[in-house]
Amino acid sequence: MNRSSSIPPVESAPATSAQSLIRRLNVLASPILVAAGLAASSATAFADETCSSPYLARIEGQEEFLYVWTLGVEGLGDGSDKLVVVDVKPGSPKYGKVLHHRSVGGRHEAHHGGFTDDRRQLWLCGLDGSRIFIFDVHTDPGQPRLARTIDDFETATGGAVGPHGVYALPGRVLIPCLSNARDRGGRTALVEYSNAGRYIATHWMPLPGQSGLDGSDHADGYGYDARVLPRKNVMLSSSFTGWRNYTQDFARVAGDPEALKQFGNSMVVWDFHTRQPRQVLRVPGAPLEIRWAWGDRHPYAFTATALTSKLWLCHEDGAGRWQASEVATIGGEGGVLPVDISLSADDRTLFVSCFGDGKCRVFDVSDPHHPRLIHDQNIGRQVNMVSQSWDGQRVYFSSSLLARWDKTGEDNEQFVRAYSWDGSRLQPQFGLDLTAEGLGRPHHMLFGATRMGR
Amino acid sequence: MPMKLLLLFTWIAAVALPWMAEANSGLPYDYPLPEPGTYALPVIQDAADGEVIATDGRRLPLRSLTRDRVTVLSFIYTRCTSARACPRATGVLARLHEWSAGDRDLASGVRLVSLSFDPQVDTPDRMAGYAALARSHPKAAPWHFLTTASREQLAPILRDYGQAVDRKEDPRDPEGTLHHALRVFLVDREGRVRNIYNSSNLDARLVMADIRSLLLEERAPNP
Repeated sequence: MNRSSSIPPVESAPATSAQSLIRRLNVLASPILVAAGLAASSATAFADETCSSPYLARIEGQEEFLYVWTLGVEGLGDGSDKLVVVDVKPGSPKYGKVLHHRSVGGRHEAHHGGFTDDRRQLWLCGLDGSRIFIFDVHTDPGQPRLARTIDDFETATGGAVGPHGVYALPGRVLIPCLSNARDRGGRTALVEYSNAGRYIATHWMPLPGQSGLDGSDHADGYGYDARVLPRKNVMLSSSFTGWRNYTQDFARVAGDPEALKQFGNSMVVWDFHTRQPRQVLRVPGAPLEIRWAWGDRHPYAFTATALTSKLWLCHEDGAGRWQASEVATIGGEGGVLPVDISLSADDRTLFVSCFGDGKCRVFDVSDPHHPRLIHDQNIGRQVNMVSQSWDGQRVYFSSSLLARWDKTGEDNEQFVRAYSWDGSRLQPQFGLDLTAEGLGRPHHMLFGATRMGR
Repeated sequence: MPMKLLLLFTWIAAVALPWMAEANSGLPYDYPLPEPGTYALPVIQDAADGEVIATDGRRLPLRSLTRDRVTVLSFIYTRCTSARACPRATGVLARLHEWSAGDRDLASGVRLVSLSFDPQVDTPDRMAGYAALARSHPKAAPWHFLTTASREQLAPILRDYGQAVDRKEDPRDPEGTLHHALRVFLVDREGRVRNIYNSSNLDARLVMADIRSLLLEERAPNP
């Protein structure tokens, strides 16, 4: 795996006199450089999930814990949303078992979360009620402690609601939202908080016709994911739907032509440092998760459109502009509702989990413009999130999409399942039935460990 | 070679070598720089206070070095050998220092601060040796090399800045290397943190654009 590709490069510039000074000192110190160089080069192998923020401290070696943000189910256990900790350390007597769970009290449409850049805190969001639960995962990573909650998100942010992801930035987090307080529709914002929990800023998504914005006719104001390519100072955001839709029964949404019009059809290219939108790309059908390639010379990202079952590539062209291209169809006729994707650390393999038919489809994306399906495998009757380890050998799946969008009856399986990946096939390692455990509907999964890299 | 000099060269080499290796990697940041003053740098937090020690042994409040000028504050420890961490930060501050030498606004409006989070090893004397980096440009913005009296004095400063530092558990080397997140703070003249950089966005040119943005602000901005 190309670990070094994740290291952001530094600018190349003529040596300053300070550098010259250091060079002179280095020459004087040459007899001891070998030892210093050896110390510096004894790098530890890093692991982690492949789709995390590049600003995030990384796990050294094998992940030990799987943190699962789980929706409460009325009448099951305490009925509340909770953080569930699963032991995933090979050889552990509790491998594949629940080590710990901590209820947050009530049901808030538990959905996504993320770590702060130092990986000391895990922020978990509720899409309904806009509460954020902040866990200390540093003091005892096996038993995270609920440290505090943010209860005034809607008022503090000036009306953003439905906090979705939590994306680590230096000393702060970026929280893409799904909706707004005024009409509970799809117009929404990106919000920033400091790691200490202090509100910093709200950046509303661009609207159609915004002056000076390339492609502004495609803007719709919707949001979902937002991720950064530091080397290019580019942030991409995607678009889903608002509170009125994601809190309704899926069948009702799917059967309502007006509701179906209320989905995002755009991605926005931002100047990340200034947080200013630069360009809007037309990507119809609710583009969801964004996965930037890691390679130093790979200026592109993948996304999948939930409603149209397509893979899209956002890439920089030779003129420095960004383009969005449909590059593959996922599944057959009728659509399979692709809901999450995971790109391998070497940018060659893309795992796509499809809620509609419960399958994981694996694409060879070594030619990103021409993905090639190399494997598909049933994971369950429904499957949602997929998280892959940095070394590409382990892949985890969870089952729940949204409280009112999950399947019903026997199809409503609620699980966490772990597989190994040998390059051609997923081999089951363990499965956890979270209904049988009385814990709820598992959604976002994040890796934890007792050892962190710099 | 006197032992003290050998030790000095040891840690300078340990600091410099990885940084130089990365600086020469030929992998550029690839984006146009923002125009200073055309974008917002909202307040993230107040710059924390605490007692620190200068290279001459003088004790002073940290807040006296985070007010009235735009400050770039870097937490470091001189034994750090990770090319992505302290050596990188010190290299960026050295570049800012050099640029400020030829610019009156920068020289009079900016300060640089390198504060150790390893007080047991980074004594004022040791930091004074490290300050050789700053002596090549007498007309540049001031660059302060600071430490603290003890871990106890340091702890609230680290806590309030959110600077993560852990001692790596190694029974063979109980005073061994420190596990830390690289953080560099940009502080405005009112003592408020306006940007935070880590190893992924610590681009000296970008820091300079931010510095110039703050210098363009009025004395009492309301961002």
